[in-house]
Amino acid sequence: MDAQIVFIKDTNGKIDLTKDFCAAFLNLLRENALEDKVQAVRIADMGIYDQGLVMKFPRENIIYANVQEKDFKEIIDKTIKSGQIIEELLFKPEPKQLRIVLRNCGEIDPESIDEYIAVDGYLALAKAVNEYKPEQVIEELKKSGLRGRGGAGFPTWLKWKLTRETPEAQKYVICNADEGDPGAYMDRGVLEGDPHSVVEGLILSGYTIGASKGYFYVRAEYPLAVERVEKALKQAYDYGFLGKNIFGSSFNFDIDIRLGAGAFVCGEETALIASIEGRRGTPRPRPPYPSVKGLWNKPTAINNVETLANIPPIILKGGAWYATIGTEKSKGTKVFALTGKVKNSGLVEVPMGITLREIVFDIGGGMLSEKPIKAIQTGGPSGGVIPKEYLDTPVDYENLQKLGSIMGSGGMIVMDEDDCMVDIAKFYLGFCVDESCGKCVPCRLGGYQMLSILNKITESQGKVEDIDKLKRIALAMQKASLCALGQTAANPVVSTLKYFEEEYRDHIINKKCRSHKCKHLLNYNVIQDKCKRCRVCVVHCPVNAINGDKDKGYFVDPKICVRCGKCFEVCKFNAIAKE
Amino acid sequence: MIKAKINNMPVEVKEGTTILEAAKQAQIKIPTLCKHPDLPAGAGCGLCIVRIKGTPKMLRACSTPLEEGMDISTHDPEIVAVRRTVLELIISNHPSDCLQCGRNNNCELQTLVADFGIRDESFQKFLPDLPKDDSTRTIVLDPQKCIRCGRCVEVCQNMQNVWALSFLERGFNTRISPAGDIKLADSPCIRCGQCSNHCPTGAIVEYDETGRVWDLLRDQNKYCVVQIAPAVRVAIGEAFGYPIGTNLTKKLYALLRRLGFKAVFDTNFGADVTIMEEGSEFIQRFVHGTGTLPLITSCCPGWVDFMEKFHPDMIDHFSSCKSPHEIVGVLSKTYYAEKKNIDPKNIVVVSIMPCTAKKNEIIRCEEMYASGCQDVDVALTTRELARMIKQAGIDFANLPDENPDHLLGDYTGAGVIFGATGGVMEAALRTAYFLLEGKNMRKVELNQIRGLEGVKVSEILIKGKKIRVAVAHGLDHVEYVLEKVREAEKNNTEMPFHFIEVMACLGGCVGGGGQPYGVTDELRIKRAAGIYQDDQKCQLRCSHENPFVKQLYKEFLGKPLGEKSEHLLHTHYQGRPVYAK
Amino acid sequence: MAKLTKNDLEKIKAKRQDDGRDWIKVGMSTCGIAAGADKVYETFVEEVKKMKLDILVKKCGCQGMCYSEPLVEVRVKGMPEVIYGKVDKEGVMKILDKHVCAKTLVKDAIYELRTKR
Repeated sequence: MDAQIVFIKDTNGKIDLTKDFCAAFLNLLRENALEDKVQAVRIADMGIYDQGLVMKFPRENIIYANVQEKDFKEIIDKTIKSGQIIEELLFKPEPKQLRIVLRNCGEIDPESIDEYIAVDGYLALAKAVNEYKPEQVIEELKKSGLRGRGGAGFPTWLKWKLTRETPEAQKYVICNADEGDPGAYMDRGVLEGDPHSVVEGLILSGYTIGASKGYFYVRAEYPLAVERVEKALKQAYDYGFLGKNIFGSSFNFDIDIRLGAGAFVCGEETALIASIEGRRGTPRPRPPYPSVKGLWNKPTAINNVETLANIPPIILKGGAWYATIGTEKSKGTKVFALTGKVKNSGLVEVPMGITLREIVFDIGGGMLSEKPIKAIQTGGPSGGVIPKEYLDTPVDYENLQKLGSIMGSGGMIVMDEDDCMVDIAKFYLGFCVDESCGKCVPCRLGGYQMLSILNKITESQGKVEDIDKLKRIALAMQKASLCALGQTAANPVVSTLKYFEEEYRDHIINKKCRSHKCKHLLNYNVIQDKCKRCRVCVVHCPVNAINGDKDKGYFVDPKICVRCGKCFEVCKFNAIAKE
Repeated sequence: MIKAKINNMPVEVKEGTTILEAAKQAQIKIPTLCKHPDLPAGAGCGLCIVRIKGTPKMLRACSTPLEEGMDISTHDPEIVAVRRTVLELIISNHPSDCLQCGRNNNCELQTLVADFGIRDESFQKFLPDLPKDDSTRTIVLDPQKCIRCGRCVEVCQNMQNVWALSFLERGFNTRISPAGDIKLADSPCIRCGQCSNHCPTGAIVEYDETGRVWDLLRDQNKYCVVQIAPAVRVAIGEAFGYPIGTNLTKKLYALLRRLGFKAVFDTNFGADVTIMEEGSEFIQRFVHGTGTLPLITSCCPGWVDFMEKFHPDMIDHFSSCKSPHEIVGVLSKTYYAEKKNIDPKNIVVVSIMPCTAKKNEIIRCEEMYASGCQDVDVALTTRELARMIKQAGIDFANLPDENPDHLLGDYTGAGVIFGATGGVMEAALRTAYFLLEGKNMRKVELNQIRGLEGVKVSEILIKGKKIRVAVAHGLDHVEYVLEKVREAEKNNTEMPFHFIEVMACLGGCVGGGGQPYGVTDELRIKRAAGIYQDDQKCQLRCSHENPFVKQLYKEFLGKPLGEKSEHLLHTHYQGRPVYAK
Repeated sequence: MAKLTKNDLEKIKAKRQDDGRDWIKVGMSTCGIAAGADKVYETFVEEVKKMKLDILVKKCGCQGMCYSEPLVEVRVKGMPEVIYGKVDKEGVMKILDKHVCAKTLVKDAIYELRTKR
């Protein structure tokens, strides 16, 4: 390098001291006549949080944390001039993310098969087809402990084994890319960033199970993913990774793409199968399971995008390697779509066993505002909320289930006090009611009844009996629904009732929403001491709810007020209270 | 064999038996609503849930096969509580006006709610704002009462292969309607009524015309006559507590007179005439080569409509003979009117049929007006007759036996077996045999074409010639037979069959769309048994032996397929669009 | 078309090995494109041509820091490999002028992703 570079960032984020520190450091550099030799660069985000002023020397890969201005001289003398490390300041943060599924995302051009091959792409396929019998592939998967990443967590090796063992000549494999959870886009990230890894995974599943045909079932709302997968398939055919005699063996395999049509329920495997068959996308009772009677009544193995993207590295590095990552029952990594009131929202891939706190604060950079964390929602519309008391829970399938939530496909939403738990439950339940296929009574009618009750609660019409009614209907939905959509649609309600029943009671009895989310429970009032009687709010009120005069003062009539919030918006003196 | 335990009682069943079926071995009735013995498990309602003892998950008994060693609990407090909630949810989406409903006292949902002892409605009621559809004037769809069990869709699509009904929309807004959300009359609907037969509630009922018949009976200027179909006599008893299949013919004659009908005829007579005409038709085609083979029966109006819409290429194969009740109808207003010196314009013919499609048949084309007026004025279903009997205040069970008006009311065994699948074929063969051989068959029962097998194929030797026949019932089974015919036509090979009988309803007319609600194979078999017993008891077993039929030809028609027969007793067919407009 | 063997894979791999050239990678998944990465990519291509710079402009998938899209990774000989976030047209010019040409990093724009692969 020509110039030595040092990154500077104040990582507490409370006060932006970075500029001041940087200026002070630059002064010192000038005093030492080093301003041309050393670039001191303020960076936007160090990936390190709550460690005070952090300085990183990228060339030497040295990081100093909690640096004070008084340390600058020593740093310049020792580290910059002579390359010495100051032990007391040294900081060695463990990278919390481990990218296996996302290994190539952000690295290679997703539209170039050569770039994929350059990072060991299709080597796993060559190895499996030329050196492994299908039973050996299953053995490696068993060692790895990989579980389905679509949400159910079924052991992948077992699913493939059962499908393989069903005596039937024609078999199918399907990649389920109908990612429907609101706010979850892990599969989209993989399909757009590294489609060949999923293609390779699907071909490997076909080889292992003995299928000659595979399908990608991609939701139509992902046009870029569809485009990139189509390109990848064409390239794979050109190179002979699809078609006849792959890698010179007797293994033939074809892949087709099928698009979804806007139905969340078609992510459920039997509804997905119905959709591909051209029938109405509704689930059917199981048994028989798809591994015995699936697509067109033939044995079919359906896997999630993330599951398939894990297969090539497991083949190349061995199942034993994969099993070193994660916890005893949940091996490997999981991709989460970390969103909500967190600073760094995005796709994060972490080894199982990492705590929620580490994800939100060490990777996510902490809360978006000054407000403290209230809860984390995981698992999308099938999941539940985990209150802040459980932030130190290691993340894996069993632990999340014990807390009343699920891992799901990887949605993770951070919430603070501005998030109303009743409103959250209503949102997710509303989603399930919209997406219900309508075939079975518990989901079709139970969901609708629960939603109507929740609407009443948030519109100040709630009754105390409603809570028990919600619990009763939730039980019926959990036990008697035909598929997992109905069985889990009540989870957000049950989970928020478990941990935040007080909020429900507040809404019902006190007609209050302390998060100020439920419009009908908001009351807008004039704070008389602050009011300057300028009448700006009076003029802006669309329903003329604010009345009075300059002598007696102005008052909001709650009977006329429609809770639009305009007065709160326009008052320059913060004289309108929203409670 | 699978050995397992249900409610601590051991059961042993064949592999593949569902928990629902296996539980019957231990005298356990698991409640169901959407399940129907005719149809594969839809698994929609969620009432049949059970659990493996000690596990939290609940399974559906209707669709889960019993596995070796399973220890099933069918009734525990949590299971019953969940079932109850499910029923309450259904009620919250269903009108509470049982008193005004066509299925009052005879409704599967009503029975379940009563059995569960649900006395209050704890959930808010949400009723969809959907209008009734009576556009066909044969079947009435009432979507407000629909519980979306899906039986009618399964029946219409897979059992009958008509595809008039389907699911529309999704979630809470799911409803059942013809595809494209059009009126039933504009859809492929053939009015077979199997949907109403399988519907557990009052969402699909027959178009009620009892009011019209009461008015006609009370009209002093009208001369009302009535006929009953073969399948009606063995099913009407079910509405009055009789064992299934009891033959109440003679009581029905007495009843109908008490209702006010001036003459009581029997469609079986019309059946005998049909055999004369159609038997001769067959001889013409088979022996003399005029007309195409195979000859296909045409007495089932659902089948005729299905053919005109979906298989118009088969038109030339169809017998041009009208159905038996139309024959009795036209003869009532011509032959009978002449004999009794009554102005045909004042005669009203009411047919009591096991069939809803007959309501449409009586106006399907101008030949149904061959007498100069509408030959049959009203076609009532068995269900409507049952209601009329109850309204009339007649103690049906204690009526004396009576006889019909013989002129158009006496019948042979061949006439009554029309009501079961294979019956038309059997009757036709009995007469065809006579017409060719000059003498009757030694054994007139043709057991090989009786029974519930979907397609029955057989060979009869008559005068040295092998006559191959096929009998199909339930329209899903017709494809197979027609494909064989088309294949032979295309490749110019020998015809696989010479004579084909098709009944749209599974089981034949005994399982018809107008019969008492809730048809199953058990009902079909028992009702058919009643019909075959009647045949056995008849003195005369073959249509050509019917003295009143002979009289009809001698005095009025001349000969089968003669000019008068052609004019009065025959019709034509035309291709129709599957979707109207 | 040509059926590849394992050897062919090794050959391709060898061919694609790092030739040491400078490059700019723009994250072009839906998260990036929604934030304007397609315009950023186009601008890079245009400007690199105009300024006659010997640097490759490439596409890649989502680097994971979706909150700071459009993301642009820059590798220039003699400089650390860094990822710039929230890049707009102005940012493109700054990257080209300062980082690529003047070999000075752009301030307040670098995002570090702490991962193992």
